[in-house]
Amino acid sequence: MLAPVLRRLRRWILASGTLIALTGCAKNAPQDTWKPKGPNATKIDNLQKPVFAAAGIVGIIVFAVVLYCVIKFRDRGQPIPRQSHGNPALEITLTIIPAIILTVVGVFTVRTVFDLAKTSDTEMVINVTGQQWWWEYDYPVQEQYGITLPIVTSGQLVIPVGTKILLRETSRDVIHSYWIPALNGKRDAVPGRIGTNRIEADNPGIYAGQCTEFCGLSHANMRMEAIALSKEDFAKWVANQQTDYVAPADGTLAKEGETVFLNQCVRCHQVNGLTRADGTPAIAAADENVWAGAAPNLTHLMSRNTFAGAMFDLAKPECRKNVWESDSATFGSKYLAGVTEDCLNQSALRAWLRNAPAVKPMYSNPALLAATDGKYRGMPYLGLSESDIEKLIAYLLTRQ
Amino acid sequence: MFTTGSKYFLGIGLLTGIAIAVSLFFVNPSALAVTALIGLFGAVGLLAGVMLFVRDGDVTSGDSSASSHPAPTTSMWPLLTAGGSALVLIGTITQPIIFLLGIVVLIAAFVEWTVLAWSESASSDDEFNAAARKRLLNPIEFPVLGAVGLGLLIFSFSRVMLAVDSRMGVALFIVIGALVLVGGVLFAARTTLKQSVVSAICVLAAIALVAAGFSAARSGMRTELEVAKYESDHEVPRDCGAKASAHGDSGVMKTISAVSGANATVEFVGGKLVAYVQGIQGEQRSITISRSAPTSFIFRNFDSGRFRLVAHLGTRKVTEGVVEEVVVCTQLIKRGAEQLLTLTVPKSSVANGPYSLSVAGVDGQVIELMVP
Repeated sequence: MLAPVLRRLRRWILASGTLIALTGCAKNAPQDTWKPKGPNATKIDNLQKPVFAAAGIVGIIVFAVVLYCVIKFRDRGQPIPRQSHGNPALEITLTIIPAIILTVVGVFTVRTVFDLAKTSDTEMVINVTGQQWWWEYDYPVQEQYGITLPIVTSGQLVIPVGTKILLRETSRDVIHSYWIPALNGKRDAVPGRIGTNRIEADNPGIYAGQCTEFCGLSHANMRMEAIALSKEDFAKWVANQQTDYVAPADGTLAKEGETVFLNQCVRCHQVNGLTRADGTPAIAAADENVWAGAAPNLTHLMSRNTFAGAMFDLAKPECRKNVWESDSATFGSKYLAGVTEDCLNQSALRAWLRNAPAVKPMYSNPALLAATDGKYRGMPYLGLSESDIEKLIAYLLTRQ
Repeated sequence: MFTTGSKYFLGIGLLTGIAIAVSLFFVNPSALAVTALIGLFGAVGLLAGVMLFVRDGDVTSGDSSASSHPAPTTSMWPLLTAGGSALVLIGTITQPIIFLLGIVVLIAAFVEWTVLAWSESASSDDEFNAAARKRLLNPIEFPVLGAVGLGLLIFSFSRVMLAVDSRMGVALFIVIGALVLVGGVLFAARTTLKQSVVSAICVLAAIALVAAGFSAARSGMRTELEVAKYESDHEVPRDCGAKASAHGDSGVMKTISAVSGANATVEFVGGKLVAYVQGIQGEQRSITISRSAPTSFIFRNFDSGRFRLVAHLGTRKVTEGVVEEVVVCTQLIKRGAEQLLTLTVPKSSVANGPYSLSVAGVDGQVIELMVP
């Protein structure tokens, strides 16, 4: 009776099984949760694999028994078999076995949870702040790493390898969640609260992540990348982030771009050291224009590979590929080279400057901002001319 | 056509209508008089209609077959309908809550009266009719009455707790809780106790509680709550000086529940202000916080005397040429107490800084707030 049914379904069963198996073979899967690249992610991996195996075995057994019963005892017009009520030995066995399995899983889970929560041996602290729809990182003064003034950056979290780093996470608007699967589990970023999350990378490289708490229109475009550099390269990165502002030379296109930046962009974006014509510091007033109260600091924009919440590549595909696919030995120097004029992904940056809401969904329609007191969530349409865009790009290229 | 009784009520109705018109247009169109007259008009109109319908109660002029139906049972719903109508009427000229209460009573009476009337004519068997009514209405009546009864008890209890002194309230809570517990244990242990005795005790206790609540509601809330009700300066920024301010430092919170999630813990010990930041070893003299992000600090006073933590957040423009210092602070707290100070700094330290934390009245103890 069963054989003909199986024969008929054989082709479909085979096709479905193959499809399911093939989905596990994706090569370009930077957020693969099964490939830990640091101690904390490894701890999670060491827990989840046996638990997953045990759950899988139990699931297969249960499924097989149910399937057997459904087929073996299906209604064929036979009389109702003898009904029995209660079997203490069987019931006790079926209670004790799951209890033992859950106890064993529970013991290892609790141990792992406490391991992951450990912060006492932290070697470095970075503040992580989420907002719609990008992440900001600020590095408090830590002189042992050469950080003598707080550093602020966004999109890409730069860390030294082999260092126990404590991320202190919070949010400026709604709840977000920070997760770089290769380095650790996820942690919610809640306004008004600091959540801690320890990460450590074993090797230099780029580790991708994604906001994992639905946070509005562009939640899916709120990405992040952790850049792990060797300790020497990290020191170079820190030194670069702390360099004084150098204004573009007079008479250059970049200098004209600086003026456009002062007139347009500085309303929200900060470039440290930038001054107005009268010599006063140009201070971003994102709190007056953006609901979250902040916009990315662009002082060293070209030192990172992405922009707009790591949604777009700042470097051309071939340049970015050159960095992503480099080996550990050369990764640092390639990343630290930053985005040069040759490598700049001009089309993406121009499209963004031309009309940001058209390329990334954001709440920026002035007619629909009553709920936020007229403040934008995301970057608005600025109405920049092509000439201004040209100048701005020239200026931004100087922000290494 | 018109019966004697109906003529009587129609006459009164006519006179009432004239009185309404006179009141409205010639005498004194006060809401109270006109509303009363309209109520009277409605009542006599209803009675005139009833008189007409039942032909002044003259059964000989009606259908004799009606006598084969069982007579209606006594019912409280006509009385409650009248009471509800009166409440609605009174509510229109006094308090909206009375009007709403009248509407609720009217709806309840309408439903009950309708189902009762239907069940009484369901069959010639009174017991069957009563059972039909119960089957339909008991699933609604019991939960509603239970909720109303419970609400009344809770409301009464809350009036008592608001009226008595706060320390007495704690004692009262413990005593009443203990009495309930002891009563429950006794009822459970003494299974031979008659149901009527248990019911009587419960009813008496409920009556006592409601009476106490009524009495408490009449006497009003305790003094500090009455005073607080009429204070208007709760939103005035707290005086962040070393001395206690009138309202800002009364009812000081001594402990906090949000012990996790704060950015840093700031302690005042032996005349020294120090900060501890999770993940950074040792005492800190500066804390880095994100701009525009709400940030909390736990402040603990381990020094003798009462101190407060003050955050200096630069200045803001009040009017053209006039600026004021932006300051937020905790209450004055005594030794061993702790409070949470939450603040948001919208701009980088470069713009409006330097920002800092200090203790009011203590010089030289400052923790720098760095906002990149």
